[in-house]
Parts: sequence; structure tokens; C-alpha cells
Amino acid sequence: MSIILDRVAVRVAVDGRPAPKILLDELSLELVERRIGVIGANGSGKSTLLRLLNGLVAPSSGNVTVAGYDTVRSVRDVRRRVGFVFTDPLSQLVMPTGREDVELSLRRSVRNPRERRALAESALARFGLLALADQSIYELSGGERQLLALAAVLAVDPAVLVLDEPSTLLDLRNRELLRRTIAGLSQQVILSTHDLELARDMDRVLVLDAGKVVFDGAPDDAVAQYRALCTAGLELPAGEQK
Amino acid sequence: MTQTGNVVPEKVTTAKKRRASWNATDLGLIAVFAALVAGSALIAAVPVGGLGVPITVQTLAVMLTGLALGPGRAFSAVGLYVLLGLAGLPIFSGGRSGLGILAGPSAGYIIGFPLAAAAVGWLAAVVLRRTAGRSGKIRAVLLFAAAMVSSIIFVHALGILGMMVNAKLSLPAAFLADLAYYPGDVIKNVLAVTIALSLHRAFPDLLLRRVRTAPAGPASAHP
Amino acid sequence: MSGHGFLLANYVPGGSPVHRSPLWLKFLLVLACGMASFLIADWAVSACVLVLLCGVFLLSGAGAARLVRAVRPVLPVLAAIGLFQWWQLGGPTAARIVLNVLVCVVAASILTATTPVQELLDGVASLARPFRRFGADPERFALTIAIMLRSIPFVAGAYADVRNSARARGLERNPRALVLPVFITSVAFARQTGEALAARGLGDAEDQGS
Repeated sequence: MSIILDRVAVRVAVDGRPAPKILLDELSLELVERRIGVIGANGSGKSTLLRLLNGLVAPSSGNVTVAGYDTVRSVRDVRRRVGFVFTDPLSQLVMPTGREDVELSLRRSVRNPRERRALAESALARFGLLALADQSIYELSGGERQLLALAAVLAVDPAVLVLDEPSTLLDLRNRELLRRTIAGLSQQVILSTHDLELARDMDRVLVLDAGKVVFDGAPDDAVAQYRALCTAGLELPAGEQK
Repeated sequence: MTQTGNVVPEKVTTAKKRRASWNATDLGLIAVFAALVAGSALIAAVPVGGLGVPITVQTLAVMLTGLALGPGRAFSAVGLYVLLGLAGLPIFSGGRSGLGILAGPSAGYIIGFPLAAAAVGWLAAVVLRRTAGRSGKIRAVLLFAAAMVSSIIFVHALGILGMMVNAKLSLPAAFLADLAYYPGDVIKNVLAVTIALSLHRAFPDLLLRRVRTAPAGPASAHP
Repeated sequence: MSGHGFLLANYVPGGSPVHRSPLWLKFLLVLACGMASFLIADWAVSACVLVLLCGVFLLSGAGAARLVRAVRPVLPVLAAIGLFQWWQLGGPTAARIVLNVLVCVVAASILTATTPVQELLDGVASLARPFRRFGADPERFALTIAIMLRSIPFVAGAYADVRNSARARGLERNPRALVLPVFITSVAFARQTGEALAARGLGDAEDQGS
């Protein structure tokens, strides 16, 4: 599926400042690769970029289209095609148990309750979560929660999956599990991450800095570029160096 | 948490239409504030001051919901709490619940909660709008007055009425019984106002300036 | 209070006739008792009704201990009212007032002891159905209820965290330090929830959008 950003800028008005703060600056991109990573420092605009793709943030100027649908005018059609996974699964899972949450995802698309139940079970089974379906989401481990959030989003079979730093709250083992799960997905995947291993799995990686794309290309080059960017200007006072 | 402000709305497409009904963020706020009132009624009381007299923070949470969300959403949040408590969830103070509450002497107070939250919410929106740019002290005093007026008219008056209807107390007797709640109420309203002012500083667009850019509500700019 | 297990506090599973009778019938019983408490003028009638309802409660198999637990919270205040009214209005009237309140409390406990929470909540959500033509949306109403339930453990956890960190800073007697952080994290949590709902295409009004 083709996602097109056409001269997109996102600006934020801040109290007590005359000029708006620029989160994203005149971005034009065409996202067609199956695996796309976005890396960059905190505050570089990664989350804003990802939120544009699902209509959670509207561009201040320019426009974003997903398979021809404008993310502002046809937000509903966009959201049907673009699933979104947040960093913290607890803010994403809105129902008390996993089964209810997956069924909630299916509510709009599947009207028949019995059919919905069956689909929810198969979505949970796909990630090995069926045994935990009726447990409170607060009793699940972080890794199980993240898988559940993924299962709930994938239950409606979106064409594109956007993940905002999906591995940040996970331990090493669950990170590995998540990497393999993402690798096995049939969807187009666009994710932001601080996990350079995960970034290396991508086909194309964008490096963001201060709202601008400063590199766009192969993962290894992108990671090298990002490292150079991060270490430049990092001069600790002599006494505090370890 | 960098809820610094709102994305400049250069493309306001369906803003008018959206204003009529609540969006997903409003639903989230209503549900979470209903949970806050429930949680505040369930947790152990907070000891206040040197004497350590315990007070429950339930009525504090009710007034704070009004001060934070404004009339419509606050009424819905506190109303939802009352409705689910009456339906049987053990979320009234002391873990009580059920329709039986309506027969008890505290029925009037519980019915008064959503009305008081709506009233203080309406007054708070007016005060905050009119005093924009004025000193914090004036705002605090006016908000405290709003909270006191709302709780006297709705919580205390209905509380007295409830005791008269359910416990068949005479008006003077019910009035005297209700007086016992005033000192705690004054303290809680002072607290509610200071907390509400801090809350509005942390989230400037919570009640005022509810300008929307995307259907998701205020665009949060997580870096 | 992990999960939402506390919500099961009142329900006693069983297959008694009381359990099997429909929700609306049990609700009517509660309603009727509420009305009756205004109409009954004789304390002996109130006592009979109370005994009858206690019988129904025990018939459901919920047990006497449950019955005591359901009534206990109102006893101190009822005792105070009873004594006060005895002095003011005399024995029979005081007895009638106290017994009538107990009738309502027991009737309501029958409802909650024999109905699963989910069924009660579905009942509440269905209250919105008749108002659909005035703009009410039963699905959004049910969704809001579900989000509230899942947020109660979050709020309880936030209070516990805040209490601990206040203690660590020596602020456990400062009510502002105990309450403000809970509300701040909760507002942030509510916003994330709203954003997550929107991202999944849920929670916005049906007529909105394209």
C-alpha cells in the first residue's frame, strides 16, 4: 500500500511564545516498502510522523494520503487500513480482559456476536494468548500485554501496521519475541524505535532530527548516520567522564 | 508528557459537527474520572493536619471532577459512578453498593454528587474564562466560592432532604446532623481548588481552549 | 485490588430460583420495596416484609453470613436514627422507619447477590437504548462503562504509588502531595486511552467522519 506525505508540516502553538514550535518541517515522502523504520532522538518528531499516518495528528499544512484516502477528510477509511500499536500496551488495551478487548476491535466490522467470538479466539490463538484470554490485563506480563495489543489490532486485518517504539518497555527476551513476530507479519510495517537491532531488520530506515529527515536509505547506513549524529557535540565535562 | 499546546488548526473540516458530540478523548476522560471518584471513595482516608483527623477524599474527587472537566463531562463522569454504584458495584465509600443506598440516610448526598459536579464545573468554566490573565489569588478565591455554593446547594441541601425523607428527621434535626460535614467540606474544597489550579497548569487545554485538530482530540506531541 | 476481581464482591454463584429469575423481575422487587417503604404505616407489616425478604435471600443459598455483611454497614447509623426517633416520635414509628430502610437494603442485596456483575452492567447499558432517538449511543455508553472498570485498578495503583513516594519524601501528611499526582497521571492516562480508542476507530460518534 502506498502512503504519501506531500509537503507535510506540523506546528504547535505554545503558551507564551509568539512563533509556533515546529514538530515536522515540510516533509515529502512516499512509503511503499514492506518494512520501514524511523529512528531519531527523543523529540525528533518520530511519534508525530507515525501519528500522521493514522490521522491521530492532522498536518498543519500539506496532506497525508493512505491508499488514496486523505487522513483528515476520510479518517475512518484510513483507520480501517492502518492499525496503530502504542509504546505502552496498558494505555492501548481498553477492556478489562484480552478477549473483550479483541472483540471490541471487531465490533465495527463483525456484527454477529458468535462470529465475532470465533474470530477473536483465532486472533488470540495466533499469538498463543488463548489461555490468558479471560485474565485481567493487569495480571499479564509486559510482553504478554504487548502481544495482546498487537493481536487486538491485527484482528481486524489492517493493511498497514504502525508501531510506536513497540519494544521500549520490553526485556531482552520479549524484544526478541516481538522482533520475530513482526518479521512474520504479512502487513506493511512502519515503526519507530530506539532498538537498533530492530531497525536493522527493516528494508528502509529514516533518520529524523529536529523535525527533518536527515537520512533515508539502507538500515546499516542509517544506523551509522544516527550514531554520528548522537555523538556529535556530546562533550562531557572532564571530571564526569567514566 | 509534553502536552505543550495544540497543533495550529489550519484545516478545520468538521469542527462544528464534532463539538456537538464527545470524541474518544472525552470518553476516556469521563470514564477515568468516574474511576477516580470510585478509587477515591475506596482508598483509606487521608490524615489531615497535626491532629490527623481522617477525611475521605470522595467528595474531594467529586468537586475536582467538576473543576477539571466542566459541566457536561463532569456530570457524566460522576453520574456514571453513581449509576454503577447503584447497579451493585461496591464503589461507594466503605465498599457499599446497590439500590439499597437510596433507602438509606445518605441517599441525598449521593444523588447530589453529579449535580454538584455539574454546577461547580459550569461556574469554574465561567471563572477561568473571565479571569484569564488575572492573579492566581483571585481565581482561587472565586473557584472556592463556586465549590462552596455548589456543595451547599446540591450536596448539603439534598443531603438534608434525604435524611428527612428516609430517616423521617425533622428539618432542624436534619440540618444539625448535616452541619457535622461542613468543616471537612471546607477543607476539601480548599484542597480541590488548589489541586484543580495545578491540574489546569499541567494540562492547559483540559477545560478551556478545547480546540481540536484531529478527530483524536488534542494532538499530543510525544517526542 | 489486582484485576477487577473486587467487582465480584457481592455475587454468589448459584442455580436457585432467585438466581434464575430475570433481572427485570428482581429490579421490580427492589422498586416495589422502595415504594412500599413510603406506604407501609404499621411497623408489624414492615417486620413481616423484612422476614419474608430475608427468607428469599436465604433461599438463594447466599448464606446468612452474606446477609449480615450486606446489612452491617447501615446498622450504626440506623441505630442512631432509631434511638433518636424513639425519643422524638415513639417506639412504633421509630421501628417502622428503621425496618423500612432494612427492607430496601435486603431487597437490593438480593438483586446483587444473585446477579453476575456483567449482567448488571449489561442491564445498565440497556437503559440507554430507549434514548437512542434522542442521540444516546448504547454502544458508546457500554464502552465507557468498560473503560471505567478497567481504570479502577489503575487509579488504585496510582494512589498506592503516590502514597509510597510521598512517604519516601516525608510528605505523607500532605494531602495535596497525596492526591494531585494521582489526578495528573490519571488525566494523562485518560488521554492516552482516548488516543488509543481513536486509533482503533472506536469511541467517536457514529455519524462523524466521511
